[in-house]
Amino acid sequence: MGQTLVYGVLNGALYGIIALGIALVFGVMRYLNLAQGSLIILGAYGILFLFHLGVDPFASMPLIAFLLFLLGGALFWASFSRLIALSEAGRIKNSLLISFGLMLLIDNLATLLWTGDERSITPAYSGLTFGIAGLRFPLIGCVGVLSALVIIVALHLFLARTYFGKSIMAVSQDHEAASLMGVNVNLTCLVSFAISVGLASIPSALIGLKSFSPTVGIQWFNKGVIVVMLSGIGNINGVFPAGLFLGIMEAISVYFFGAPYREVTGLVVFVLVMVLFPKGLFKRQEL
Amino acid sequence: MMRRRAWITFCLAALCFGFLPALIRSEYFLNLFLMFFLYVTVAQSWNLLGGFTGQISLGHSAFFGTGALITRLIWTAGVPIVPALIAGSLSSVVLALLVGVPCLRMRSAYFPIGTLALAMIAQITVANLFPLPGSLSRGYLTGYSMLSRYYLALLVAMLTVAVVYWIVRSRTGLALVGIRDDEAAAEAMGVRTFKHKVFALMVSSWLVGLGGGIFAYHQVSYYYSAPFELSWSFLPTLTTFIGGLGTIAGPILGAACFLGLSEIFAISLGEVHLVVFAFTFILVVLFVPGGLMSISTKIRSLTARIARRATRV
Amino acid sequence: MMLRVEHVDVRYGDLQVLWDVDLEVRQGEIVALVGSNGAGKSTLIRTIAGLVKPSGGTIHYGDALLNDKPPHTIAASGISMVPEGRRLFPKMTVLQNLEMGAFLRKARPQKETTLDWVYEIFPILRKRSHQPAGLLSGGEQQMLAIGRALMGRNDFLLLDELSLGLSPLLVKQIFDVLVTINKAGITLFIVEQNVPMTLKIANRAYILETGRIVGEGVARELMESEHVKAAYLGMA
Repeated sequence: MGQTLVYGVLNGALYGIIALGIALVFGVMRYLNLAQGSLIILGAYGILFLFHLGVDPFASMPLIAFLLFLLGGALFWASFSRLIALSEAGRIKNSLLISFGLMLLIDNLATLLWTGDERSITPAYSGLTFGIAGLRFPLIGCVGVLSALVIIVALHLFLARTYFGKSIMAVSQDHEAASLMGVNVNLTCLVSFAISVGLASIPSALIGLKSFSPTVGIQWFNKGVIVVMLSGIGNINGVFPAGLFLGIMEAISVYFFGAPYREVTGLVVFVLVMVLFPKGLFKRQEL
Repeated sequence: MMRRRAWITFCLAALCFGFLPALIRSEYFLNLFLMFFLYVTVAQSWNLLGGFTGQISLGHSAFFGTGALITRLIWTAGVPIVPALIAGSLSSVVLALLVGVPCLRMRSAYFPIGTLALAMIAQITVANLFPLPGSLSRGYLTGYSMLSRYYLALLVAMLTVAVVYWIVRSRTGLALVGIRDDEAAAEAMGVRTFKHKVFALMVSSWLVGLGGGIFAYHQVSYYYSAPFELSWSFLPTLTTFIGGLGTIAGPILGAACFLGLSEIFAISLGEVHLVVFAFTFILVVLFVPGGLMSISTKIRSLTARIARRATRV
Repeated sequence: MMLRVEHVDVRYGDLQVLWDVDLEVRQGEIVALVGSNGAGKSTLIRTIAGLVKPSGGTIHYGDALLNDKPPHTIAASGISMVPEGRRLFPKMTVLQNLEMGAFLRKARPQKETTLDWVYEIFPILRKRSHQPAGLLSGGEQQMLAIGRALMGRNDFLLLDELSLGLSPLLVKQIFDVLVTINKAGITLFIVEQNVPMTLKIANRAYILETGRIVGEGVARELMESEHVKAAYLGMA
């Protein structure tokens, strides 16, 4: 049981980082980016490619982050920027449709480029574990928890302390009022979208070190969206605890129902919350 | 006038496809047309809910899969195919009532991800419960006739198109379109929106369940979770959007394009048709909300204008 | 001449809401735009701020043409706005809202001194500075909205329906503050339904009816005109 919980916490931290990117665009623009999981997998292929050239996955992460950032900016510029003028419901629905197309596009391009085979990045340290108090801790999972904490604190400071971060917060609360303050709303949206895609690089590395194939992106997106919903939209600080909560719940369900139904747990919670709170948990968080 | 033209088109299509096997003996082409009928069934039933009622479902694979699963289990247990098919499609409706209806209680903007989650739950659960592929036993294989599958698929496709056409033309259809265009306004005008959405979901899941039954009747051997795969949710969304959301001809056109493209590319490369379709889908959502159908009406009005100008000169 | 609006038309789709509007505001003035509900007042002020694009005509601020500029560029070129309904950032504190007001690059270095000035004008905001803006009373929210606009250090202020939903006493208090702000050298353009109050503090006024300017003049004289008396001051 204790060991199951350790894995639950480690997985939960990963879910938290995935959710961060989804939460950022949903909070600022009410865009639901269904392709976030596919972008994570795309990043994993990038890291795998560099790994074959001899670059350590964690060393190549900043470069992949930058490339994904640029890709995110380009995607926003070419497609998502056209939805900004729509109503909130229109933005959710249309961003969902566009990102749905994008997801299929990326997944199938990835299949063409790298085949549908399962891949995994395997540096020498990938299987290392260490023991504390009789429990095994995989090294990479722990690096994942650490990087999740670092990134969440960094993002929090960025949003609270810098002028650009403040403009993101302002746009998420009232984009018209923000524009009257002199905030360039389109640019702010573009950059926050690009940041959220850039953030995909961290789960890219962590998932890459496990295993991945072109079509698993949607499953990771689902983890992220469940966490976002549990933490409440616009609540970046709640993402990490909510991720841990999901991870631990999954671990407990594995303990009782067996591993095959691990994926179902989160989805059932998701559907239940959606049905019991038809206005969305999202709504309650807004003042 | 409109009604009569639709009726004539419908009968002509039935005649053409009905006599087609007399002209074409090739198993390959019969198979291709069967897939076309199947895609039309799936896309058109999705269109009733997504295109005419505005509830974009990414969970139709759950209903399609349930129809396939139950039909297959009953049919392979020795029951004739038609009762099995009916039972299978009705079980899809039951599933829709049990889990789909709660999804309709969500804000409609979240309906797509809610149904997507359901489809994933269904797929994982079925894959765990039935880990082995289901193959037809020898007795079924010796009696296997392509023609009966062809005609049953044709019948189901024609039924689907007719039912959706009939509903859309009725008072109910008017209410459904009202919900799509402005749910609050429809409610204010006295439309009981939730009841109508449930009705559209039930009919849609019934028809797509029939499609699933055809899949089960047609395939010789497959994993029970195969018809639950998410691609059965994505296919109707893609084809209907590209063909023309909320039109009767749209899904048919979209299905034909999808099948044609996949056949062309299947020979040389794997999944290129999906790349092309995904890209086209994004373009359609962004720039041509009416899909191919709106382009054709635009061209028609353009040629009409040119013709008018020509006669004036 | 600070602001010059010439022959401006505005339409929402097929619906035209402003027809050939001309008006001007000189430096140091308080100019009022009055008219009944639905006359297009808010549309006009939103057009000046760049939130609505005019379909015809020109809007100049100084020498700069504002027509096609986005709202943030217009804010940077010197025009601040207090929007209708206050539009505060509800999850930010009072202080954070004021800091957002100083987002403009030129306002950032003077942020602290401007803040002191705003707190001097609205002492209550200093007391509330760490409360979320969403929890303030209506009057306090309106003060914060004005304070936030002042933080931008612009010389020109657009004010849209300040008195909406406030008690007469609060309205008087806020209009007194407007006079103070104007004396500090800031030009004001006020859109209001509360016509008597507005005409009392304004130098000049325009009357907008069903999308057209139907009258203009010195505020005090307008108060005496039979049309204004009958239509807006309730004196038949």
